[in-house]
Amino acid sequence: MIQPNMAVNLGGLPMKNPVTTASGTFAAGREYDQFYPVERLGAVTTKGVSLNGWAGNDSPRIAETPSGMLNSIGLQNPGVRHLVEHDLSWLEGRDVPAIVNVSGHSFEEYVQVIEALEEAPVDAYEVNISCPNVDEGGMTMGCHVPSVEKVVAMCRAATKRPLIVKLTPNVTDITEIARAAEASGADAISLINTLLGMAVDARRRRPKLARAVGGLSGPAVKPVALRMVWECHGAVDVPILGMGGICTGEDAVEFMLCGATAVAVGTANFMDPMAGLKVVEGIAEYCREQGVSDVNELIGALEC
Amino acid sequence: MACSESAAAVLADHRAAVLSNERATDVLYVMQLQVEPSSGEQGGEGGLASSLAPGQFVHMSVPTLQSHILRRPFSVYATDPASGRIEVLYQVVGEGTAEMARWKPGQQTTMIGPIGHGWTVPEGVSRALLVGGGVGAAPLFMLCEQLVARGVHVDVVLGAATKDALVCRSRYEAACGCAPTCSTDDGTFGREGFCTPLVEEAIANSIEEGRPYDYGAVCGPEPLMRIASRAMTAAGIRCQVSMERRMACGVGACLSCVVDTVSGKRRACVDGPVFDATEVVWR
Repeated sequence: MIQPNMAVNLGGLPMKNPVTTASGTFAAGREYDQFYPVERLGAVTTKGVSLNGWAGNDSPRIAETPSGMLNSIGLQNPGVRHLVEHDLSWLEGRDVPAIVNVSGHSFEEYVQVIEALEEAPVDAYEVNISCPNVDEGGMTMGCHVPSVEKVVAMCRAATKRPLIVKLTPNVTDITEIARAAEASGADAISLINTLLGMAVDARRRRPKLARAVGGLSGPAVKPVALRMVWECHGAVDVPILGMGGICTGEDAVEFMLCGATAVAVGTANFMDPMAGLKVVEGIAEYCREQGVSDVNELIGALEC
Repeated sequence: MACSESAAAVLADHRAAVLSNERATDVLYVMQLQVEPSSGEQGGEGGLASSLAPGQFVHMSVPTLQSHILRRPFSVYATDPASGRIEVLYQVVGEGTAEMARWKPGQQTTMIGPIGHGWTVPEGVSRALLVGGGVGAAPLFMLCEQLVARGVHVDVVLGAATKDALVCRSRYEAACGCAPTCSTDDGTFGREGFCTPLVEEAIANSIEEGRPYDYGAVCGPEPLMRIASRAMTAAGIRCQVSMERRMACGVGACLSCVVDTVSGKRRACVDGPVFDATEVVWR
């Protein structure tokens, strides 16, 4: 049996296979390295980082919903210096590219985080303009073309490294945002971040999350994510990192057929700590079964 | 030396099969599971069961309920390292645990473990007071056994809704050699009402007798942990509590289960679930 070529290139980031992790579901990989060597992944995408530490939101921070979950962690993180000293130094010793998810309260903070990382072992940046759980920055920046253009152009000027821009699905037309990111210098786009949602405890007459609203993820969002990846594939030329409810190799292949060059496994890590590795193996298995010699053949190969 | 040395044991997702699933009350069940040695293990005596320290927990999947994707964390009630069996006491609080209550012997599941920091009893402790409210009685039982084996005098206070809900009572009695002091909400066994007055009385009696407690552990509803631990701390007793939060990953990655502490937000799963009571900022 011939092994398929699994290597892809995500906007200048070479990956040995198309699978990374969705930011915020995998920390920096150390916890899951107990279950399988993280170098089996195409890349590790780290938890969103800001310049200084953020405390995040009050508890309860999650609620389970049918085939999914809501979260409102609120980008709790100890700041970029801690990431460099404790996590990137650890990841550097592993044979896996590091994609660092960059967050900020202001346009300037995104640039300051990138500047603080330019000397660190980082292989690509994912600019998070799509977190629904913070009041400033995050999704508020990713919903309007002018602010998307501004933050992406500022980040672009700050680095020559591959720049991935993570988009929110909570917009009327995601292709408009995708085009703005591309025109402002993004090397790739990633989508989708979580869908803004809510869960209610009827008997207590209260929201289940302390912050009332949160981001929906898991298998429940996969159809929306597939649709948006497919729409963006038709709208931009830069490669797409697709995510939203991916649990199996076949789920990942569906995203690639819709136009994703690479995929991220997120909430599935919580369901099964081996999920990332199983998706890598599942894609290879699909290729062998289907006589696909190169995984790149799948990208955008949807027939319709 | 601390009790939870094996907190450093490497995590794995273990396959397990239900051996029994006994209904104790309308909402309380005791499930016994046979854990298979994980693929990486060299046989080993009991695998997960032998590496679980008192107060640690397992993160169990509910594979028969596909629309509920998250695992459920359960503190471990008892282990039998020789056979590789573990027991959990669980309360039906939602659809996941309601589904588990329907499981028959032979049902397969998987569980990540051993997770977290368990109870850490300082060297030299001679008298301990354990306080368990509702299902919170279970995570203290292995601690009780360990303390008794170390020659520590252990007193136990248990509170529950009804007599039948005092599921762990007889096992504590067998382990300690003396009966736990109990309260029930409905007065069907022991003192009627909450167990917090019993805790205050136990502390006062121990001081009066000139043999004060030097370690306390509380697990149960948060108001009980807050009130009981404050009473112990006020009496100069070092006290630990086991915190419960909604959890997603269970391995320290997602930051869903954070607890407010004097040193900021900390993860119940891997920084806890057991914390020193003075560290917790109560809600």
